[in-house]
Amino acid sequence: MKKILVLLLSLLTAMSLFAGGSAEKAESEQVTIKVANYAVLEQGYIPFWEGVKEGFEAKYPNYKIEWVTAPYGEIVNQVINMAGGGDRVDVIFSESSWVPGFEDAGLAAPVDEVLSADFIKDIYPSVLADFEINGKAYGVPLYVTPFVLYYNKDLFAQAGLDPNTPPTTYDEMLKYAEKLSQLKDKNGNKVYAFGQTTASVAISGTALTAMVFNFGGEVLDANGNLSCDNEGFRQAFETLALLDEMGYNPQNAKLKDLRNLFALGQLAMYYDQSWGFNGVSSINPDAKNFTASAAPLKGGNGSGESLMSAHCFVLVDNGEAHNKAVDAFVQYVISADTLSDYLANVTPAYPATYSMEGMEGVANNPILKGAANSVANVKHQVTVPALNDLNLELTTLAQAVTVSNKSVDQAIAEFKKAAALKLQ
Amino acid sequence: MRKLNSKNRGDRIYSFCLLIPAFLLALFFILIPIVDSVIKSFQDFKVKNIISGKPGVWNNFANYIKLFASNALGNAVVNTFVFVVFVIVFQFVLGMALALVLNSNIKGARFFRSIMMTPWVVPTVISALIWMWLFQPQYGLVKYLVSLVTFGKVTEFAMLNQPDSALTGVGIAALWKQIPLMTLLLLAGLQNVPDDIQEAAMIDGASKTRRFFSITMPYMASVIKIAVSMSIIENFKQFPLFWTMTGGGPDGATTNLAILSYREAFVSMNLGSGAAVTTIWMLLMIITVGIYNKCFRTYDMT
Repeated sequence: MKKILVLLLSLLTAMSLFAGGSAEKAESEQVTIKVANYAVLEQGYIPFWEGVKEGFEAKYPNYKIEWVTAPYGEIVNQVINMAGGGDRVDVIFSESSWVPGFEDAGLAAPVDEVLSADFIKDIYPSVLADFEINGKAYGVPLYVTPFVLYYNKDLFAQAGLDPNTPPTTYDEMLKYAEKLSQLKDKNGNKVYAFGQTTASVAISGTALTAMVFNFGGEVLDANGNLSCDNEGFRQAFETLALLDEMGYNPQNAKLKDLRNLFALGQLAMYYDQSWGFNGVSSINPDAKNFTASAAPLKGGNGSGESLMSAHCFVLVDNGEAHNKAVDAFVQYVISADTLSDYLANVTPAYPATYSMEGMEGVANNPILKGAANSVANVKHQVTVPALNDLNLELTTLAQAVTVSNKSVDQAIAEFKKAAALKLQ
Repeated sequence: MRKLNSKNRGDRIYSFCLLIPAFLLALFFILIPIVDSVIKSFQDFKVKNIISGKPGVWNNFANYIKLFASNALGNAVVNTFVFVVFVIVFQFVLGMALALVLNSNIKGARFFRSIMMTPWVVPTVISALIWMWLFQPQYGLVKYLVSLVTFGKVTEFAMLNQPDSALTGVGIAALWKQIPLMTLLLLAGLQNVPDDIQEAAMIDGASKTRRFFSITMPYMASVIKIAVSMSIIENFKQFPLFWTMTGGGPDGATTNLAILSYREAFVSMNLGSGAAVTTIWMLLMIITVGIYNKCFRTYDMT
């Protein structure tokens, strides 16, 4: 008897590992939409998103929002793993560079299949074009930004430079950098003159693409093929190598490292998406007193063009009832009422719709003012499914010419081989 | 006699029945996933296949051909082996030294043993974050200490930013985390070395070194073999320290097979290619552990 009991117990223990529960589906008119959003976990953004949930649910009592959260670096996998298990979210708060991956995974729905036509017409066509794959847009931008140049007016003044005349070309920047790099902060720490992210994360690759555009170069041609045999591409990486050699650029830094250094007065100028200022002011609330922005620098024969980035919503088609709720949610968020205070005080960025054009908080934002014209000077980059891979290969190239001290020729040759395999 | 046979048969059936749950678990959670992963490594199998439920398609070894055509695989294999050898050598030497100290009945040994275990209980990701901050290039403690020790001659010290030193940086974090367990296992082994044999050798005039290599080490052989095997496996599959501290950079200097597999599967969203890396990784691990077991065959000393 004892033996049989032991046997049954061990079988039950084993079987319990295979057991699963099934949630009972409550049929009601209430629709709960699942919104995957990493920003809900980030200190600087929590009040805004809590306000969105509260305001949306008050306006639409039949709709509820359920956040699906994961840290920034894990949210894509979280969404995909859930979808693999049959649990698809309805909306993903996404970087624009993630959109091709979601489309390739079969998760993103064309926005015109979910959103009303009038709302789509309100989005600037040139901005919507950045989300198009085979003629269909797969992302809805909340707001946009090129990579702008943030600089520290106090450090400029300390170096004997005019705080109201930031550099406009890479040559000018190098002259400024010579003076700025002589400075020390109040604790005697080195002040870096210029920051360009090169760490092994996809967003750094996006920043590097923008730098290539500054020099009039390209990374992909209009058909999505690798296109790096151009002068602008080479000059961008030669400049990175020079910046490293002079000790002007913090090596292998992530954007968050640059924000940290800038907030602490240890970095005089750096490239960032406009909303990166939120990270700076989270570290040092006084940063608004010394921060100013400028248009991206012109290099070589380039005109200082940059790459447009956006925070956007990727929509998932989960049936008519959910699509209606998603339509209401997207229109609620991407509206002057919801975004004006956010763009003015939390996340400096430029609106993506006609109806928000000239919004008070953006037009008169002292942080954005210097770079205001740069929104019109952007270059469209075709989207390919392997965009994240390509971005990571660009960071490897940047590291090769900086920390690895490889020649630009050798590094570009290695990059071409690796990137071509990824784009196959 | 017949009664005894019937009892034996009953015991055997009962033992077999007790093994069934373990067998089922191994089958469903280990064997089937491994076979499934190997099959997928020969297929064009991407995230969209999971989401749409469509099966993968045989792709004529394309995943393997692509991997061998890139420099990434060779680089990852070299990094993996260098890391494993570095960590195991230092872990064993330092772990043994600590175990000998703790076994020598010094004052406060019990307290030190408890304190020493702290890194082992800290989650790996937290350990990685701690070491990342220690190595931080602008205001990290290690940079400050290096500057202090060199009397201000070395002011720029960024271990994780240099391709030559990044792997060592991750290795140091791994050693900090893993030495306590190695020490504990070796200490358990040391305490099982019979005192009478040691005393006999001492009376015969054997030196401390001779006693260590001729008595202590042979008696500890089985413990050492298990501890080192565990360490080989642990470091062969090390992912969180690398991903958190360097993400595989700079310039691929810390891309090991775990990072490469993750990047192929979850950054490129190409699960077939990720499975191909995993298959190569698994084969290399089996070969390594097999060679190790063959080289370090142990004999029962008792």
